[in-house]
Amino acid sequence: MKNYLQPKQEKEEPGVVKYWRKHPKSIEKYQFVYRFLPKDDKKKRADFLDNKAILIYCAIILFVTLVFRFIPKFAPGVLGYASNINVSDLLKYTNKKREENGASNLRLNAKLSSAAEKKAQDMFADGYWAHVAPDGKEPWDFIISEGYDYIYAGENLAKNFSTSKEVVEAWFNSPSHKSNLIGKNYDEVGFAVVNGVMDGYETTLVVQMFGRPRQPSMLADAKEEQVVLEKSQTKEITSVAGVTERTEVPANIPREEQSKPEDTTTVVIATNPQETKAVIDVTKATKTVSIAFGGFVGSLLAVDVLYSRKKGLRKFTGLTLAHITIIGMVIASIWFILKPGLVI
Amino acid sequence: MLENIKENRIEYFILIVAVITFIILVYTFRFNKGVLILLSGLGAVLYIFWGIIHHYIRGKLTKNIVYEYSLFGLLSFLLFFVVLSF
Repeated sequence: MKNYLQPKQEKEEPGVVKYWRKHPKSIEKYQFVYRFLPKDDKKKRADFLDNKAILIYCAIILFVTLVFRFIPKFAPGVLGYASNINVSDLLKYTNKKREENGASNLRLNAKLSSAAEKKAQDMFADGYWAHVAPDGKEPWDFIISEGYDYIYAGENLAKNFSTSKEVVEAWFNSPSHKSNLIGKNYDEVGFAVVNGVMDGYETTLVVQMFGRPRQPSMLADAKEEQVVLEKSQTKEITSVAGVTERTEVPANIPREEQSKPEDTTTVVIATNPQETKAVIDVTKATKTVSIAFGGFVGSLLAVDVLYSRKKGLRKFTGLTLAHITIIGMVIASIWFILKPGLVI
Repeated sequence: MLENIKENRIEYFILIVAVITFIILVYTFRFNKGVLILLSGLGAVLYIFWGIIHHYIRGKLTKNIVYEYSLFGLLSFLLFFVVLSF
């Protein structure tokens, strides 16, 4: 310890502390803060910004991604997508989009809503996320089974979204869903917002079914619409846990012969069915990890630019300002633009 | 800092145009995760090439510089990927 930092010619000086006081620069590289600062002697950036450190950050981010992928396999429902979606908002935003695009408002129909509800339950029960069920059942089968006789019918699906507005925006931004959303062949609509566990993640499925009844007299009136809205706000929803992948279910075997997944259990949610909160919101968690790492690296790069300028250091490295621009762009995109959710 | 920008005016101009284009594309395809993953991968590769070409033109290209741009490209892609893969 005594001779640890002392040059040979000053070996005889009494006390290492005295020496450090006299030559503060000699202990600089042993201080923690030094890891954050660029090095003049090596013409390099800070230790926490060298290639090895960046590689470690990449490995940690990859590891976190893998952990978030594996947790649902061992603890279904721990990770999930927090949401606050409800039928009245979905109807409001759908009709708003239709008005903006010159289409008439849709009326909420009880039979279409019931068909949508059954489709959502079927997806949770059989663990699929598609318009056609593994047993070959199509959206029209759900509609017809509710006794809705239609000329035109359509279906939009969404999952993992946070709000009703985002769901409708996503449908509007996809050409095929948009043609349903603002389609002039439809007079009525039905929605289902169902919470449950799919692929191990707590999530909310949204089913939107469109229709035009064969007989105009079958059209829903304002009273029926009000009843459907009230029902959607008060009813209890059954959620299914432990859903398996779609590929595990044979597609051409009759529904009665399909074996249900062993870990399937039924849980009745008695609280407000439109809200779902997982233990860990996967959207928030991944955004936090991403922004934290990006922010840390971006801040170190900013310190590097300012410190180098102040001390007049020149380094043999890439363009720090360019790295800051790229990291800043990534953080801004993640923070302001990226939203959770999928539509089919 | 300003000297650095003045010195590399054309390169920074190209980078800023690319960044603005990227943000517009990300916003346009914000509901299509497949396209977003593709865009972030493409953006990372373009950035790596941008850095390598810049240093090559100035005769300052070393192995370390190539690693550095590759790692920053990879880091940018992974920051997107961790959010987009869920």
